[in-house]
Amino acid sequence: MKDDVRLPGEVHSFEVRLESIGGLGAHAAGQVLASAAVLRMGLNGAHFSSYGSEKKGSPVRSFVRLVPGERPIRTSAPVEAPDVIVVFHATLLRNPATFAGLRKDGTFVYNAPKGVVPEQLVALPRTARVVRVDALGISVEEKSRPNAALLGTLCGLFPFLRADDVLAALTEEFAGKHPEAVAANERAFRRGAAELEIVEGPGRAEGDLPIASSEPAWGYETQPVGGILPNPGNTAWNDLSASRAGSIPVLRTEKCIHCGVCDLVCPDFCLVWADGEPGGTFERQLMGVDYRYCKGCLRCVESCPTGALVKEPETPGLADRLRVPLFPELIA
Amino acid sequence: MAARMPVATERPAEYLPAGKARQKLEFRSGNEAAALAATHIDFHLMGYFPITPSTEVAENLSKMQADGLHEIVMVAGDGEHGAAGISYGAALGGGRVLNATSSQGLLYSLEQLPVQAGTRVPMVLDIAARAVSGPLDIRGDHSDIYYALNAGWVVLCARDPQAVYDMNFAAVRIGEHADVQLPVIVVYDGFITSHQKRRIQVFDDPKAVRDFLGTRPDYPSPLDTEHPATFGPYMNDPDLINNKVQLSQAMEAARRVIPEVFAELAALTGRDYAVLDAYGMEDAEAAVVLLNSSAETAKEAVDKLRAAGRKAGVLSPNVLRPFPDAEFRDALRGVKAATVGDRADSYGANGGNLSLEVRAALQVDPANATKVLSRIYGLGGKDFYTADAEKFLGDALEAAASGRVKVPFAYHGATPGKPGHGAKPGLAAIRPEDVSLGMAKVTPNASTGRLEVELQPLWKMTAMPMRIAPGHGACPGCGAFPTFHQVFNALEGDIVVLFQTGCAMVVTTGYPSTAHRINYIHNLFQNGAATLSGLVEMYHERVRRGEIPPSKDITFVMISGDGGMDIGMGPAIGAANRNHRMMILEYDNQGYMNTGAQLSYSTPIGHRTSTSEVGATAPGKRYHHKDTAQIFAACHLPFVFTASEGYPEDLMRKVAKAQWYAKNEGLVYGKILSYCPLNWRTADDSAEPVLQAAIDSCFFPLYEVEHGRTTLTYDPEASGRRIPVADWLRLMGKTRHLAKPENATLMAGVQAETDRRWARIRAMHEHPLL
Repeated sequence: MKDDVRLPGEVHSFEVRLESIGGLGAHAAGQVLASAAVLRMGLNGAHFSSYGSEKKGSPVRSFVRLVPGERPIRTSAPVEAPDVIVVFHATLLRNPATFAGLRKDGTFVYNAPKGVVPEQLVALPRTARVVRVDALGISVEEKSRPNAALLGTLCGLFPFLRADDVLAALTEEFAGKHPEAVAANERAFRRGAAELEIVEGPGRAEGDLPIASSEPAWGYETQPVGGILPNPGNTAWNDLSASRAGSIPVLRTEKCIHCGVCDLVCPDFCLVWADGEPGGTFERQLMGVDYRYCKGCLRCVESCPTGALVKEPETPGLADRLRVPLFPELIA
Repeated sequence: MAARMPVATERPAEYLPAGKARQKLEFRSGNEAAALAATHIDFHLMGYFPITPSTEVAENLSKMQADGLHEIVMVAGDGEHGAAGISYGAALGGGRVLNATSSQGLLYSLEQLPVQAGTRVPMVLDIAARAVSGPLDIRGDHSDIYYALNAGWVVLCARDPQAVYDMNFAAVRIGEHADVQLPVIVVYDGFITSHQKRRIQVFDDPKAVRDFLGTRPDYPSPLDTEHPATFGPYMNDPDLINNKVQLSQAMEAARRVIPEVFAELAALTGRDYAVLDAYGMEDAEAAVVLLNSSAETAKEAVDKLRAAGRKAGVLSPNVLRPFPDAEFRDALRGVKAATVGDRADSYGANGGNLSLEVRAALQVDPANATKVLSRIYGLGGKDFYTADAEKFLGDALEAAASGRVKVPFAYHGATPGKPGHGAKPGLAAIRPEDVSLGMAKVTPNASTGRLEVELQPLWKMTAMPMRIAPGHGACPGCGAFPTFHQVFNALEGDIVVLFQTGCAMVVTTGYPSTAHRINYIHNLFQNGAATLSGLVEMYHERVRRGEIPPSKDITFVMISGDGGMDIGMGPAIGAANRNHRMMILEYDNQGYMNTGAQLSYSTPIGHRTSTSEVGATAPGKRYHHKDTAQIFAACHLPFVFTASEGYPEDLMRKVAKAQWYAKNEGLVYGKILSYCPLNWRTADDSAEPVLQAAIDSCFFPLYEVEHGRTTLTYDPEASGRRIPVADWLRLMGKTRHLAKPENATLMAGVQAETDRRWARIRAMHEHPLL
């Protein structure tokens, strides 16, 4: 048996928060990391994720808490002041809670192509270590998932997390269900470690970042009695862009015969219609897509009889440029 | 970042197996620990029904069964009431029985619990404790378990996954003890413990624990035909009170037996459980009393306070029934003040059950002068941090020092809210004239006795305002929402909808947002049809009394998943038999998809779900799907139909007819096949080919039954498009295994059953009397 591992420095615990979207594998990554630490490195650990209904595309937080092997873990509360935050999807950088509680000497990993330094990173502590890795690019090239690459990145950044142990746990996780993924995951894992880039100085904040304090919109003095919601349809304010996995439907107006088939298969009610020009060919016209609500399922593309709706890779800013607002008077 | 090199540490005693059985380390959640313990116990049978967050117990067992790791008979109930009945019947049969549930599931099965205790039939029920509705909250608190305290079951508490594992073994032994003979609950915190993975020790070889468990003693059983007996007689006074004396005596026996069993288990495992767990209590002046996981968190707070020289401790019962009142009296005798935190209120009693019972325990001790502060915390899954425990202990220390309790009872962690703040505003109300655009014109045909529908072209329908707003949280590619879009295109005027519990309800109404732009109701998972029928009758009565103008022409629509039509079948049939003027529309995605794809009775045979896993010894679901449309047809309703979102025009015609019948004649039922890419294991954008294949294979015939007369609205055979079911099943990840040679017999069976059901529908189509 190999020796047990000790946590770095003087820290009594090592806490990781993975910020992700359902379907990108953050929960699995957390589980692989924690089980490797507990079963292979002699540490004690806990792992859990934030909970919702079992669906794809909604925000997920996964927590890993590691302590020396001889210490018990007692608290079961979420990680509030993490040593490491890993952001699986760049869209999450728009939410300030993504950064909450990062320690001033903490590490912040984000998933983005080379050269991308989002402006939101200014919110990070000046003294934090900021790391970029193109986990999505790597996973696409290696036919793996971003979680394998990001696990590799974590091991690269924290050598006390023994890469061979984490990789073995990752292999074990997939060997049963998806044996075909094992080799691809290993390649992505190694590239995640090799291709990480330390981004110098994007943070401007001093000291530890404050712990997130989320207050509900209504409290017991203001909440409508009986739990009723008197605000019909206010999900219209939600932004579901983060649910997309890399592609969007794009309307080629010149090919569109405005038949209405797409409208009946769109689960997200995000196709925008208007009355046609008086005297024109079409009484009703498809104007485009409100990408605020589009989850990128591409059912509209599949249903389109004329090829007017086409699948395109979602390059940065594309959806914002092409978006046709569904409620322009309300949400421009 | 210092010392990155691995350094050898001494393996601490804390996780060295100290018992006499060989053990190994694993990394498991509470639900996994419960499932693993179940395989080691080798229960004969598990009766269950999926409910978050306990569902994983059955899921894990299903997976392990598929891998050949145990032989427990797994029976999926039609609801928790059924699951509890299955478990009771099985336990009467003399074998070892397990059930697992949470929240509404416990409440729905509640009436079975006192029966099982009063008739003295041991079994084990794992409860992943969760908030009780209303409104619905799926996260953890203790409001469910408090309802079970008067049921006559022994209640063991498990504060972490290790305790879940251990307590399941203890539960078997305690319940089966000759002096006890009672069913036993093991309760652990939903999500917090059920879903959090921790390092635990498990038996290397389950044989070690089999000796500890022995075999189940023989109680009288209806399977013993040589000794006929009546189980469950009709017993009034003067006899019932005597049965309850026996039950009370059994509970007292459990009080004696529990420490003995804990000690025996400790000898085996090295892990000892006190009836009342005490930490830092030796010289404590102030204490906090908490149940389960939060008690562990509080130990961190005690360490901090002790380091600062404050005399504080934490108490938490490992056994809730029988209540360890003597242990509480002993532990609190020298304590000046204690805060008792309850993760559920007993509204109006100024304290939750734990608090009230601790107070009652102390009251009989004349030497006790402990001041008790009652606090309600952590409701609906609100996290409990060390800082919260520090606050509880701080309040107790203050009361200890001052000799006065400033606030005897309070909610901790609630938010008052700020004036002027609130949820985002809603969209404008939809007026009936906005949605009465004649998209589907219905005309009765006197000569045929049928309704005829003229649909507007699809492009024209784009002018219909949607009664559901965008921004809902369904999965990409979800089929329920195209279904609703098509349904709402065909419906005119004011609509009131009721959604039964399921995906569509969860993803449209996450507080404080709602996607519904019209009146929407959610009640219990199974009770929608009854609820809506009550609303329908109230509407007509208020119209009759002149309280609502008859010009308000409301249509009432219940929307349910196929899961809701399992657990809710009784109320739905009841509403159908009463023939209320309402519609029941079922979006059938062939499983309980909201909770992680467990089997429903509408899941076809052989399909993979998380409770019908596929493996070396299991080829998916083991029995054929329910023919819900035919069940409702047998209720002789004015109109019953099947449809699919893959055939929008057909669907909209039927829904338009449904509205006419629901307004003019009575109850309408429609079953709509609806796509679920996540759990069918298909691409988000493959709905059309997959649904087309389901229909072209004749697995899902499109037809309507109008006044008893069946009409196929699409006949794949007549149009020369019929395909074998195998051509449909190979399109989905959940059924791909059926194409393997070893499943050839099963596949042939699927085809044969499809042929048989299709031939019947066709015969009904051809013969007006069928």
